Amino acid sequence: MSDTSLQQTLPSRRTRLLAPPLLALPAVLFLVVFFVLPLIDNGMRSVIANDGGFTLSRYASLLTDGFYLWIIAQTVLLSAGVTIISIIIGYPVAYFLVRKAGRFSGLIIFLLIAPLLTSIIMRTFGWQVLFARRGLVNNLLVDQLGILSAPLRLTNSPEIAIAALVHVLVPFMVLSIATVLQGIDTRLEESAKILGANRLRTFFEVTLPLSLDGIGTGAILVFMIANGSFVTLVLLGGGMQTLPLMIYQQFNTTRDFGMASAMSMILLVIAVFCLFLQLRLVRRKGA
Amino acid sequence: MKRDWINLGLAAFVVLFFVFMLAPILIVVLVSFTSAGYVSFPIPGWSLKWFAHIFEYQPFIDALIVSIEIAIGATVLSCLIGVPAAIFLARSRSAWASGIMTFLLSPLSMPMIVIGFASLFFLSWLGVGISFAALLITHTVVCLPYIVRTVAGVYAGLPRSYEEAAAILGANPLLTFWHVTLPLIRPGIMAGSLFSFLTSFDNLPISYFFGSASTNTLPVVMLSYMENQFDPTIAALSTLQLALAVVALLIVDRVYGIDKMTVAG
Repeated sequence: MSDTSLQQTLPSRRTRLLAPPLLALPAVLFLVVFFVLPLIDNGMRSVIANDGGFTLSRYASLLTDGFYLWIIAQTVLLSAGVTIISIIIGYPVAYFLVRKAGRFSGLIIFLLIAPLLTSIIMRTFGWQVLFARRGLVNNLLVDQLGILSAPLRLTNSPEIAIAALVHVLVPFMVLSIATVLQGIDTRLEESAKILGANRLRTFFEVTLPLSLDGIGTGAILVFMIANGSFVTLVLLGGGMQTLPLMIYQQFNTTRDFGMASAMSMILLVIAVFCLFLQLRLVRRKGA
Repeated sequence: MKRDWINLGLAAFVVLFFVFMLAPILIVVLVSFTSAGYVSFPIPGWSLKWFAHIFEYQPFIDALIVSIEIAIGATVLSCLIGVPAAIFLARSRSAWASGIMTFLLSPLSMPMIVIGFASLFFLSWLGVGISFAALLITHTVVCLPYIVRTVAGVYAGLPRSYEEAAAILGANPLLTFWHVTLPLIRPGIMAGSLFSFLTSFDNLPISYFFGSASTNTLPVVMLSYMENQFDPTIAALSTLQLALAVVALLIVDRVYGIDKMTVAG
């Protein structure tokens, strides 16, 4: 009796062990074919010259020509700037959310997540309206306060593009930092205070160092998304030239697809590097 | 006394932060109801004419239909291949399972414009260049991670005992999945589908490369409209889109509870 039941359970156990990995196969195959292969194909296109031979000339000019280097630098600087501003703005909000908000914390989380329901076009349009010739800011400066005699041409300036990017990305920073702050044992801060540290010193020597992981997670996420941002810069760019904008231009007007592929690969390398940092951070947290 | 000033300053900062967060959104909602013939703020009077104008511009309507079809199609396709993968990955502790998880989530980390540009050439080479199918495939690449992540999140939090009970009572794996697992992970599927739908619906950097009269999605048409005109039609369309997203969120919340979603998200 026990023998037959054992025999009955054995095969089913084996299928339970063997079948599950197969469950992931369709998704993995799908991404290999429609995500990895296109990127490999893109890499090939970037090193095949117009006459069909192998060339690294596109990378050579991207990495030595001042014009292209400045574009890569602008891309990285813009993302870094947006990331730093997001940390400075986001940290106090995250701190307030975890430590001070109390019964308002639900409302704050709602207000942080709600903008994610709006389209990127809507938010970009919002910034255009705020700073349009007949928008809110010019209305205040010219008609209400009379500081200026004529409306300013404010749209299409780098500052507004940066503000718009921070607006899109800062909720991710707040949520990343808040998650880590939530896990900090408040007794550590109390101990510091009991030992004589004032609030400022407690914050800088206890709370801030303990929340660095949250800042790191948020920073990588924000940097990664800012790096590939495109819609905001097309509409509010203010003359900034970044890799995504150049790919768009190469595709649209110049139609130099090889060069656009090489630029895509540079952007991809930056993204993969960020992903690598992200995984290392997650793994360290797990250990 | 000094403590209070710090707290007050912090609270004031948070209020300013939310003014910054909400201003660009609320202003669009207000402008969509303007009676003026141009974009201005404050608005001179109220009117619904810009909402009516949406329906007079045929490309918006065509693109809206394409967008809805693609968003639903990509979400369904993502569920079909993503849910089984999530079920396996949520319960496996092996190193290569976490590697597969990282791989399945990796499209989220890659610049969309690169995915769009690279896919256009690759899919053209495969013979499905600029077409509905190509748009559907590429959108699925970026929607799949949302399904995998949310479903795996929900499933990992469930005890194994329900499925074991079903198996002991004689249900085969398929029956167990259909009657036990699926109902349990449905909140994750719904939440993931909502994220997936919104991601696809809002996508521009991928859809842009597959644009043609019959495959333009709503954001692509809106972008080209905005490059030529600056009038409140875009505001009206955005407001309508926001209203639909809020309604969708409320329905999912009503049926499954928003707290379950945020835990998984």
